[in-house]
Amino acid sequence: MRSKVLGLAAIALLIFAPTFLPVYAMTLLTELVILALFAMSLDLMVGYTKLVSFGHAGAYGLGAYVCGLITLNSTIPLPFAVGLTAIIVCIVAVAIAWSCTMATGVSFAMLTLAFGQLGYAVAIKWVSVTGGSDGLSGISKRIGPFGWAFLTTKAGFYLFALGCLLGAYFLCRALIRAPFGQVLRGIRENEMKVIALGYNTRRYKIAVVALAYMFAGIAGALYASFAGFANPEMLFWTVSGQVLIMVIVGGKGTLIGPMLGAVFFIMVEHKLSEITETWGLFMGIIFIAFVMFAPDGIMGILKKRIFNKEVTTTTFQTLEVPANPGQVK
Amino acid sequence: METFSFILIQLLNALSQASLLFFLGSGLALIFGIMRVVNFSHGALYMLGAYIGYTVARLTGSVWLAMLIAPLLVGLLGLLFEMGFLRHLYKRDEDAFLLVTFGLTLVLAELTRLTWGAPPLQVLLPTGLTDVVFILDEPMPVYRLFLIAAGTISSLLIWQFLERTRLGLLIRATSQNAQMVHALGADINLIRSGVFALGCGLAALGGVLAAPSLTASLGMSSAVIDAFVIVIIGGMGSFLGAILGSLIVACVQTFGNFFFPDFALVFLYALMLGVLIIRPGGLLGKEV
Repeated sequence: MRSKVLGLAAIALLIFAPTFLPVYAMTLLTELVILALFAMSLDLMVGYTKLVSFGHAGAYGLGAYVCGLITLNSTIPLPFAVGLTAIIVCIVAVAIAWSCTMATGVSFAMLTLAFGQLGYAVAIKWVSVTGGSDGLSGISKRIGPFGWAFLTTKAGFYLFALGCLLGAYFLCRALIRAPFGQVLRGIRENEMKVIALGYNTRRYKIAVVALAYMFAGIAGALYASFAGFANPEMLFWTVSGQVLIMVIVGGKGTLIGPMLGAVFFIMVEHKLSEITETWGLFMGIIFIAFVMFAPDGIMGILKKRIFNKEVTTTTFQTLEVPANPGQVK
Repeated sequence: METFSFILIQLLNALSQASLLFFLGSGLALIFGIMRVVNFSHGALYMLGAYIGYTVARLTGSVWLAMLIAPLLVGLLGLLFEMGFLRHLYKRDEDAFLLVTFGLTLVLAELTRLTWGAPPLQVLLPTGLTDVVFILDEPMPVYRLFLIAAGTISSLLIWQFLERTRLGLLIRATSQNAQMVHALGADINLIRSGVFALGCGLAALGGVLAAPSLTASLGMSSAVIDAFVIVIIGGMGSFLGAILGSLIVACVQTFGNFFFPDFALVFLYALMLGVLIIRPGGLLGKEV
């Protein structure tokens, strides 16, 4: 109950943010919303299915390039361009997921890393399409369909990005609570058991990777329109590492946690870079500390301290019980 | 005759590349074999080896000394990290391990940048190996031949160490069934720490050896991907597989870069996927 009220208050606050926040804060907030979507998409894999990806920046960068190319070469309005990007990224992701899920565990993680780096190499080498190491620039925010000019304003674009984030969140939440999510959690806890129960786990894994990549692609598409450029750096493996930090520090397997992780990451980056040039070093140390001592992240700490709830990410959900949406927290 | 000499030269280049990859991949394979985990920081340790080698070579004027000191220092670092952090994670799942070593990668990359700066550093060739010899009228740096020799000798030594000595026996036994070895009275923690340190030291040696021909740069930490491709192709945790994997990867890289420079990377990944489809455990590995 308490968490529901808190959630609604947060959503209301975010929707009305443009009315009271100064312009420079809106830029930061838009960036945060986009990164939150990026981090949340990875949580589907890392948190719910225990598929660690070191190549998530590949999906993010792919989305940025595809959306950039669509916008530069056509007059398709922004929401449709983002939708088209999502479909394209999703198709590419199925092929990548098909290859990566041939391996399990750590090998899977390293294969995603290899594919991410492959994307980075393609972005640099395929100069005629991607613009090489300069990337694409001059990507403009498009006026929406039916002449919705408000999408080109700062507040309008922010609300559009926020809409994408909220839509993605509620969709993911519904999926997680559906039988589909039960199977994913089953894979996380004990894949052999799920196979023994007659599920084709590889199909589920491909589906969740495609879904996660799609949302990451949408985040990339939003970022490209927001910043006006797409460059190879967006696909580099350090970006994959950063988003993984957001998920782990925020609290994996909670959807909300990774969003908080994104906020935490950006705040720490801003605060630390004011006092020291080496914020990356401290970020690394903070990350190690979280993995060692607080594997459930900020969300785990919050749940324990504020809501007095036991953390549910690691409890075993038996699959024999028919999926009951109300049961899962 | 011309094509023959060309192939011979490219083959020698591939072999010298394979030596460097061997130092990188075999450490990863040994660590994986004994702990069932991937050391993500392997590339960063390889990089650190190159940088420490650079400093030692500058201070003492001897690259030979650098080849001794850098692996020892990095091995010590690995030992401390294993005892301080990794040891407490064996009970957790393998992902925790991957994430902590990833954190170590970030820390090491940042510390390296702070200490040595961002621009790549040139490391000189060791004295006595600066010449170029002519093989069938084609120039070939002596240093590359030295790399081939170093890789061959090291791989034979480590292989014999694993096969013939009591410690090697314990290491192989631990990789098969750690609990049983523990029950028989061997100190598992000591073996794990030792192998981890050995793997880190090997990576650092690879870094020192690679530095003269490649310069020491921050980008070296991406070498963990190469190392992993080797281990996937050769077989997770198989030492001989790591040797085979390095040879295959080096050949694909050398010939691929020569004939299709833009697609060499694609070939490599296609090969890796092919191996995964046909033999999911790698060429010489057990089925996973």
